Amino acid sequence: MSTRSDRLALMQGTLDVLILRTLIFGPQHGQGIARAIQETSDDELLVEHGALYPALQRLEAQGWIAARWGTSANNRRARFYTLTKSGRAQLVREANRWNRLAAAMARVLGPEPEKG
Amino acid sequence: MRPFWRRRTTDDFAAEVQAHIDLETDRLIGEGRSPAAAREAALRAFGNVTRVKERFYEAGRWLWLEQLGGDLRYGWRGLIHNPAFLATSVLTLAVGLALVTVAFTVFNAYVLRPYAVRDPYSLHLIGWRAQDNGGQRFRWRDYEELSRRQDLFAAVVAESTRLVSSNGRPLAIALVSGNYFEALGPRVSLGRALGGIDAAPGAGPAAVLSHQAWVRMFAADRSILGRALDVNGRPFIVVGVLAPDFTGLADMPRDAWVALPAYAAAAQPELVGAEQPRSLEIVARLRADVTPARASGALSPYFAGVMTAERAVRATVTPQPTANPLSLEMLAVLAPVFAAFVLVLVTACANVSNVMLARALTRHREIAVRLSIGASRGRVVRQLLTEGLLISLLGGGAGLALASWLLRAGTVLFVGALPASVAEFLRITPMPLDHRVYLFALGLAAAATLMFALLPALQASRLSLTDALRGQGSASRRGSRLRATLVAGQVAVSLVLVIVAATIARNGAAVADVDLGYETAGVLSINIRGESNALASPLARALESDPRVAEVAVTLNNPLFIRSRRVAAAPADHPDAVPTRFTFVSPGYFPLLRIPMTGGRGFSADEARSSARVAIVSAATAARFWPGQDPVGQTIRLEPAGDRRIEEIPGYSRVTVIGTVPDVVSGFVVDGPDAGHIYLPVAPDGKYAEALLVRGRSAQDLGPEALQELFRRVAADPQVFEVLPLGDMRTLQLYPLRAAAWIGFVLGLVALGLSVFGLYGVLTYAVSQRTREIGIRMALGATAGAVVGLVMRQSARLTGFGAGAGLVVAFGALRALNAAVRFETISLLDVSAFAGGLALVLASSALAALVPARRASRLDPAQTLRADG
Repeated sequence: MSTRSDRLALMQGTLDVLILRTLIFGPQHGQGIARAIQETSDDELLVEHGALYPALQRLEAQGWIAARWGTSANNRRARFYTLTKSGRAQLVREANRWNRLAAAMARVLGPEPEKG
Repeated sequence: MRPFWRRRTTDDFAAEVQAHIDLETDRLIGEGRSPAAAREAALRAFGNVTRVKERFYEAGRWLWLEQLGGDLRYGWRGLIHNPAFLATSVLTLAVGLALVTVAFTVFNAYVLRPYAVRDPYSLHLIGWRAQDNGGQRFRWRDYEELSRRQDLFAAVVAESTRLVSSNGRPLAIALVSGNYFEALGPRVSLGRALGGIDAAPGAGPAAVLSHQAWVRMFAADRSILGRALDVNGRPFIVVGVLAPDFTGLADMPRDAWVALPAYAAAAQPELVGAEQPRSLEIVARLRADVTPARASGALSPYFAGVMTAERAVRATVTPQPTANPLSLEMLAVLAPVFAAFVLVLVTACANVSNVMLARALTRHREIAVRLSIGASRGRVVRQLLTEGLLISLLGGGAGLALASWLLRAGTVLFVGALPASVAEFLRITPMPLDHRVYLFALGLAAAATLMFALLPALQASRLSLTDALRGQGSASRRGSRLRATLVAGQVAVSLVLVIVAATIARNGAAVADVDLGYETAGVLSINIRGESNALASPLARALESDPRVAEVAVTLNNPLFIRSRRVAAAPADHPDAVPTRFTFVSPGYFPLLRIPMTGGRGFSADEARSSARVAIVSAATAARFWPGQDPVGQTIRLEPAGDRRIEEIPGYSRVTVIGTVPDVVSGFVVDGPDAGHIYLPVAPDGKYAEALLVRGRSAQDLGPEALQELFRRVAADPQVFEVLPLGDMRTLQLYPLRAAAWIGFVLGLVALGLSVFGLYGVLTYAVSQRTREIGIRMALGATAGAVVGLVMRQSARLTGFGAGAGLVVAFGALRALNAAVRFETISLLDVSAFAGGLALVLASSALAALVPARRASRLDPAQTLRADG
């Protein structure tokens, strides 16, 4: 695991957006979400799979995602999460916020300083 | 937060975690790893399984409780650190909550609280209604007939209430059917209730006491069982005492219960005899499968059969689970009263809200820190609301204690302000703080929290982080506008309450000043309870022959007790009869009341005895019928008024006027002097002699003992005569007006006190915020007077807005009130009530402003300018 320390640690609140974003493509179980986050971020984002569950729980409590038990592609029982209508709205709001924050941060930090 | 029963189990969560690891293992095996390595890698990727499960457990169950606990602890610590704030807020709220709770407790006792009997909601009161008559009184034989209707009723009970004498004191007893206690099932605290055996023929006379009577008359003596209760001189053996929560099927508590057949056998055979009086109320427990409509349909033929004199008789069956079941009309009358109480609570909330706003401003830094280290705004609002809830729970507790004290003090005042002659037989229904009151108080406290804590909390959570951390209150501008609005609102509310109270008081004073037109001092009114007027004549004879009695008169109805009956009258030759009122009086009536004859003569004894067709008319009637002419010698015609049948006045088609008297107040003082009145002659043994007036030679001569002794010579039960000094009746009529004015004033003054307090707080705070500005002004040469003016102007702006709004609302409120209770004697826009209320509110506001203003004027410019830059 040589690359592990180079990966980006997640800032607070980021995970929620990532989960919501992942669920846009349809219902998914916890392991699938974890894989999808890692794959879509080209393994840049560090997600300890276990950290996913408190976030999933939080989102479910907010009513942004709904869950039900189902069967996975390779015929295992798994709990599938679906994006709800209010979850979709929340994703739009959050994505906006992140984009603005990212842009603002980029402006503040300016062009990357030269190395050396 | 999900309700606990829908929350996920830990097992379910463990299964999900297991599924995750299995799936990941499968995937890694698919990538070509060995099962063991794949499993290890999956576990590593997952992280600490136990920790994740722990977090699930915490989040699911206890976190919210823990947070609440934390909020409460934190809130309590903050409050304790600021005891002045805590004490002011709790006390302020306690006053507001207590007043509303008192109003609710009275409402609860009379309207909401079901009878403390088994299944009160199946109880129905039986009545009848005819084309132009109706009632709820029946004979014993009607009760017997109804109790046979087992197809409709699970049980039927009968009750007849009356005042009797017990060792010379009035005793409110209920004569009940033998099954009364068995069917209702109230709790008994001592001995036994009455049963069928007490109503059986030959049963010994037995009585059951109410808890209240047991305490009042026997000092809660536990050895009371087997002792005799004096009922009109006959001993009834006390067999039991009821629990305090049942006082009878009405809002006027009974002292004792006696089986009707036993009472009839001992004292009044006609109750169950051939000519039974209509004196029973019948309450039935409806069978579960029978609707009131079906029951009334089934009873109507029987009622029509026994009430042959009436047309279109039908039975009424109305739910009667409480003494006064709630109705829309009742709500319409009570809503404004309740609103007045709630307004005071709102003023109290505004005060606390104001203090909290100020406190939130000083806590900007703390709240900003909490926000910046990651607390959500919702979390901050929740924390502040929890603090509010803590305050209002404390306030609610103190309010309940205060309410129970106010109720006791209020009852004492209420009874104390009544004439002794009335207080003697008045019984007040118990007004316990039961679970309904507690629930109401809890809900009220919660509602109050939202009223006073939500605004400051939202305001505080909306602050700008950077400014707050730098120590600049940029939110204070909006905050101070909010506080100004709150204070202006308080001023408006107190002005409304004070003006309404002043108008009611002015109206009451105007009514109290009404000249009755006769002399009440030294006159006793004697009414005969029940339906028989056969006792009027022997009592009149007994009184006339008594040396202590100076004058006696008999009437159809005594003045001040009820309005005289309606009739239509006209000059005999005039076609259109106009509505007016009439009564029968004996020749002694006018001299006894010192009403002078303004023309003609009074009735003679012969005219009274022979029911001669002669009349005396009031000045208003004379002026209306014969303007400018002498009414004496004219003739008038009497007709039934409107569509109501008046059988009582047959043959009065031509009546000769023999005299005139001035206009007097015969009915209610609020109505003022009669708009017209006709007097007809009656003798003590006449059909229309139903009440007496007596004037003793001196007040002491006709004391209660002398009268009781006199009454006993005439009737078996002296309590059948209701004696009331005529002057007391006037006091009694004015009583509600006076009570309303007092309640209004108490509410108004409390509200005024609160708003003065609030204004003081706001101005003090404003001065502290403007210290630098004021310092600069003074350094530049502003005089102390100018600074005082500055603060006073700010105060005047606040009160000005409030007072303006208050005046408009007060006028609207009075118009609404006028629809319910007519202000006969004064105009709605009573100048002195409005001016007085306004002056009071403005003066107290100015006084509240003066202290901070003077403090501001004493600031030392050098110091304020040097203080923190």
